[in-house]
Amino acid sequence: MRGLSSEVSLGVGSLGPGSELGLGVGSGLGHRLLAGRASSAPVEVEPDIEERTDLDELLDTDKPWLVIVWNDPINLMSFVTFVFQKLFGYSKEKATKLMLDVHHKGRAVVSSGTRERAELDVYRLHEYGLWATMEPST
Amino acid sequence: MSAPIRRRRDGRYAVKLDPSVRAVLVTMAEQLSPILGPDEPMTRRLFPPAYAGENEREREVEYRSLVDTALINHHREAFGVMAATAQADVLTESELDAWLSAVGSLRLVLGTRLDVSEEMEAPDPEDPTAPEYALYELLGQLQYLIIEVLAAGLPDEGRPEGAL
Repeated sequence: MRGLSSEVSLGVGSLGPGSELGLGVGSGLGHRLLAGRASSAPVEVEPDIEERTDLDELLDTDKPWLVIVWNDPINLMSFVTFVFQKLFGYSKEKATKLMLDVHHKGRAVVSSGTRERAELDVYRLHEYGLWATMEPST
Repeated sequence: MSAPIRRRRDGRYAVKLDPSVRAVLVTMAEQLSPILGPDEPMTRRLFPPAYAGENEREREVEYRSLVDTALINHHREAFGVMAATAQADVLTESELDAWLSAVGSLRLVLGTRLDVSEEMEAPDPEDPTAPEYALYELLGQLQYLIIEVLAAGLPDEGRPEGAL
């Protein structure tokens, strides 16, 4: 079986609050990402198709998308927990539980939301090298 | 003896590393930085798919066209910061953040090349992959040290849901 690398312990001390540098980068890119989609979408489509696309997008937003992190044999368990805490603001307890789900079950849903929101979360997880994908909830 | 990486009272981080380790970080970052990309076999692992579904190829292509350049730039910037500060004794938090990202990327590249698995044991010293595996292990130790100090700055109770 392959999974998150566990050669080091999970123990991490707590010394108080720290600043959260780096988070602004991800969200900034996300906004550019959304802007890119909005400006490129309507080009060269027939009017009737365009309407259908709008409807699809509308339905899209009603149905939440799930962001999934998959098990991999390289990333350290403590690293995965750290990324969940840092990116999503989860408590250490919740982040650790999600990491263990990834480790033992092979995957875990780490966030959900609109398609664009999910794309942004996936992107930020990819910045940290985590194997993240997204899929519509069923 | 103090820890190799520790948080100072001024919020910056003191770094004590062997010069040979620092040199390796520079070499690897400088070798990988120019070839970074999803089409380069060595660095492909750094560009996972977002849409994995069979009938979502179109969305994946669109997503890639939107993010690949940004993702390449992100990795390149992290490598650049690490190479530029590799000899420093004191790092700011954002510099150490870049180290964490860069060291993680180097581990992913090496680990993928070595096809590591969870139960994998260190190869025999005579094995041709032994030096690369040793480097992979070294990067893991360094990454662990960085996480330890950076995670200590995160609140255990987390942030309010949705806050960035």
